[in-house]
Amino acid sequence: MDVFIQLLINGILLGSMYAIISVGLTLIFGIVRVVNFAHGEFLMVGMYGAYLLAAKFGLHPYVSAIPIVLLLFAFGALVQRFIIQPLLSAEEHIQIFATVGLSTALMNLALMIFGADLYSVPPSAVQHSINIGGFTLVIGQIVMFVCALALVAGLHLFMQSTPLGRAIRATAQNRNAALLMGVRVDRIYVIAFGLGAACVGLASALVMPLYPVTPTIGTYFVLTAFVVVVLGGMRSMYGAFFGAMIIGIVDSLSGYYIAPDLKEVVYFVIFILILIFKPTGLFGLGRGTE
Amino acid sequence: MTVKATSAPAAHQKGPGLLSGLTNPRVYCALIALALLLIIPMVSGSPFVVHVFVTICVFAALSTAWNIVGGYAGQLSLGHMVFYGIGGYTTALLITHFGLTPWLGMLVGAALAAIVGLAIGYPCFRLRGPFFSLATIAFLEVVRLLSIHFHEVTGGSAGLIVPLKLGWAWMIFRDKMNYLYIAFGLLLLCIAVSYLIRNSRLGFYLTAVRERDPAALAAGVNNTAVKLQAIAISAALTALVGAFHAMYMTFLEPATMFSLATSIEIAMFSLIGGLGTVAGPLLGTVLVVPLAELARGWLGASANGLHGFVYGTVLVIITLTLPGGLVGTFGKRVGRWIDALPGGGRVALVREAPALTAITGAPGEPILIAKNLTKTFGGLVATDNISLTLKRGEILGIIGPNGAGKTTFFNQLSGFLHPNSGTVSIIGPDGVGATPTSADGFARMGIGRTFQIVQPFGKLTVLENIMIGAFLRHPKVEDARAAALRVAKVVGLDDVKDVEAGTLPIGGLKRLEVARTLATEPNILLLDEVMAGQSQADTQRMVQLIRTIREHGVTVVAIEHNMQAIMSLSDRIAVIDSGKLIAEGPPQEVVRDRRVIEAYLGEDYADAQGL
Repeated sequence: MDVFIQLLINGILLGSMYAIISVGLTLIFGIVRVVNFAHGEFLMVGMYGAYLLAAKFGLHPYVSAIPIVLLLFAFGALVQRFIIQPLLSAEEHIQIFATVGLSTALMNLALMIFGADLYSVPPSAVQHSINIGGFTLVIGQIVMFVCALALVAGLHLFMQSTPLGRAIRATAQNRNAALLMGVRVDRIYVIAFGLGAACVGLASALVMPLYPVTPTIGTYFVLTAFVVVVLGGMRSMYGAFFGAMIIGIVDSLSGYYIAPDLKEVVYFVIFILILIFKPTGLFGLGRGTE
Repeated sequence: MTVKATSAPAAHQKGPGLLSGLTNPRVYCALIALALLLIIPMVSGSPFVVHVFVTICVFAALSTAWNIVGGYAGQLSLGHMVFYGIGGYTTALLITHFGLTPWLGMLVGAALAAIVGLAIGYPCFRLRGPFFSLATIAFLEVVRLLSIHFHEVTGGSAGLIVPLKLGWAWMIFRDKMNYLYIAFGLLLLCIAVSYLIRNSRLGFYLTAVRERDPAALAAGVNNTAVKLQAIAISAALTALVGAFHAMYMTFLEPATMFSLATSIEIAMFSLIGGLGTVAGPLLGTVLVVPLAELARGWLGASANGLHGFVYGTVLVIITLTLPGGLVGTFGKRVGRWIDALPGGGRVALVREAPALTAITGAPGEPILIAKNLTKTFGGLVATDNISLTLKRGEILGIIGPNGAGKTTFFNQLSGFLHPNSGTVSIIGPDGVGATPTSADGFARMGIGRTFQIVQPFGKLTVLENIMIGAFLRHPKVEDARAAALRVAKVVGLDDVKDVEAGTLPIGGLKRLEVARTLATEPNILLLDEVMAGQSQADTQRMVQLIRTIREHGVTVVAIEHNMQAIMSLSDRIAVIDSGKLIAEGPPQEVVRDRRVIEAYLGEDYADAQGL
C-alpha cells in the first residue's frame, strides 16, 4: 500500500510538469486553433536557454525563469506573426506541415550547435528529496506542482477578469464575431501564441534542474503533452491540468506494475482510445476534434 | 435529356495504341526523365553516386506510396514508417527463421502492412486533420516501443542483422548496381499504381471525399471504403519498399525502421513536389535528397543535423511560398511546354455517352414512403411526425416558411439524418421497401439530392464535378466523362466545363448541384432550393429542365421559395410549418388552405380574407 501511495505521489508530481507544458499547448490550440507540432522544441529552446544562463552567468534555472519566460513569449509571438499568421486561412495540412517543419528545423539546429551530448546545470538543492510521513518527495517536483497550480489559477484570473482575457475568450469562441466587435484578432493570436510559448518557458526553467537537455528532448515531452491535451478535451485548460495528473499517475503506476519500457505504450493506447471513442476528452470539457 | 441507347461498336472507341502513345511527348518525356535515374549512376560508376540514386529511388517510392493516402485522400499520416518497418522486419524474420526468400517475404510483409493499415484507418479516418496525424504518430510510437520491448523476436534496440546470403534469390549483392535495378523497379511500380489510381474512379472519389464529404456521400461514394482502399494500397507499397531497404542496409533497428523523423521526411517530399500529383513526390525527392546527401558528403560529421535543419527550413518556406508544391504551382506551364514538343497537343476523342439506366415501373405507384418522421435537435422538434408517400413520376413541391423543417425532412429522405422515430423506405423494382443504413446507400438506391448550401468540389473542374456523380452508374473513366458531358449540355454548363468549380458564380453553382446529382441517374431527385439566386431566364430554364427530367420517368421533389415557379411546376404541393405537415394537395387547393395562408401571412391576413 505504501508503495502504491508513493507511486501516486510520484505520478501527481510528474503530472504537474506535463500540466505546465500542456496548458501552453491548450492555449495555442484553443485560441489560435492551430496544433503546434513544434511545442516540444519550444521546451528544448527554453532548456538550452536556461543551460546557457547557468553556464555563462551561474544563474540558477529558477532565477533564469523570468528571462526565459520573456524570451519564449517573444519567440512564440514571432512564430505566430511570421509563420502561422500567413497560413491561418490556408488548408489544414499546410498548417501541420509548417509547424512540423519548424519542429524539424529547431531540433536539428540544436543538434548542429550543441551536438547530441547531454547538458545539465550544476547540481543544486532542488534535486534533493524530503521525507514527509514516510514518503519521499523531490523538492524540484514540489516546486513544479505549486507552479502548475499557480499557473492555472493565474491564467483563470487573467481570462475571467481582465479586458484582454475577455477579448481572448471571445476570439476563441468566435473569431468573426470578435472581429466585428472590434477585437484585434490578429493581435490576440500573437498574444495567445506568446502566452502558450511562455508557459513552456516556465516549464523549461523548472525542468532544467531535474533533466539534462538534448536536441530530441522536445519530442519526448511533446508527445506526452498531446496525450494530455486530448485526454483533457483539447481546449480546456482545466481539462489539460487534470489530464496531466492522470497521465502522470498512469506513467508512474504502469512503469512499476507493467514494465518501465512499456509505460508510454500504455498512455499512447489510452490516447488512441480517447481520440476514437471520446473525442471531447475524458471529462467532456472540450469541444473535441470537431 | 437525349437518350442514346445504342452504343457504338467497341472498335471505334478504342484509345490510341501503345506505339502511338510513345510518340506523345508527355509519355516520352516522363520515360526519359525516369531512365536518367538509371543512366546517370551507370555512366558515373561511382559507388557513392549509385548509393545516392538507390536512396532517391527508395524515398521517391515511399513518398509516392504515402501520397496515395496523404495527397489523394488528404489524410496526413505522419506515422507511415510503421508500414515500412513491418515490411522490413517481416522479411528479415522470415529469412532468419524459415529461410524464406525476401521476394516472398516482402509480399507477406505487404499483406500484413495492408491489414495494419486497415486497422489504423478504420477507427482513425473519422478524426479531423491534425488529430489523424497525431493518431498515426501514436501508432508508430506504440509499434516502435513494442518492437524494442519484445527483443527476443526483433533483436530490440541492439538490432537485427539480415543473414548474408549473396545472390538474386536473397536480394543481397556485391555489385551495388543490382540494388539500383530493384529500387528502380519498386519506384516504377509505385508510380504506376499511383498513376492508375489518379486516372480511375478511385482517384476521383478520393479527391471528392477530400474536398467535400457530404457531396461525395450524396454522389453515392462510401467515404470510409475509398479511404480504406487507399491506405491498404499505400501501406502495402510502403512495406515492399521497406523490405527492400532492409535488405539493402542488411541491418534493422527500431529507431530507424519506425522513425518519426523519416515519416515526416517522406511526407515532406510530397509536399515540396506537389501533394496529390503523380509526379510530385518523385520531383520533391530528386530535388531534396541529393542536396542533403551531398552536404553530408562535403561537410562530413561536422554537418550533424545540417540536413535536418535544411529539410525543416525548406518545409516552412514551401508552406509559406508554394503551398501547391512545384507541380501544383508550375505543372500547368511545364505541361504546355511539353505539349509543344513534336507529337504533342492531341485532343482526347469524345466518346459517345453510354446508355442511361432505364427507369421501369408504372407512373403513380408509391416509390418512397416516409412514415411518422420525427427528428429533434435538443429541445427543437425539427420534423414532427411527418408522413408522406411519393408517387412515381410526379413533381412534388415542398413549401413552408424559413426554419419550418423542410431541409431536415430532405436530410432524412436522403439518409443524411436518421430520424429519432419513423421510417423511410424506398420501394424497389420488386415492390419491396428497403431502408439503406448510410447516405451513400440511399444514393445507390437511386435517391439523388442537391444541397441548399452548394457543395462543389472546388478544385475540380465543372466536368470532373459532374463525373463524380456519373461514376455511380459508369465505373469507367471514359464512360463517366461522356455521361458527364451529356449532363453538362442538358443543364447548360458545357461552355464552362473546364473551369475550376470554385470560381463559378452562385447561379452556376446551383446548376452544378443539379448536374452532379442528375449524373447519378436517380429515380428520385430531391432539389433543395435550386432556383434561389438564379436569374429570371435561368429560372425559366430550370423549370424547363425539371419538366424534361420528369418526362424521363424521374420523380422530382423540390423545396422552393419561388412560388410562381413551384406552383406552375408541381403536380402536388406539401406545406411544412414548424416541423408539421399542415397541408397537401394540388397547387390550386393548397394556396387557398387557411392554415397555409396563416403560416405564410399570419392569422390576421387569413381573417381579413374571410377564410
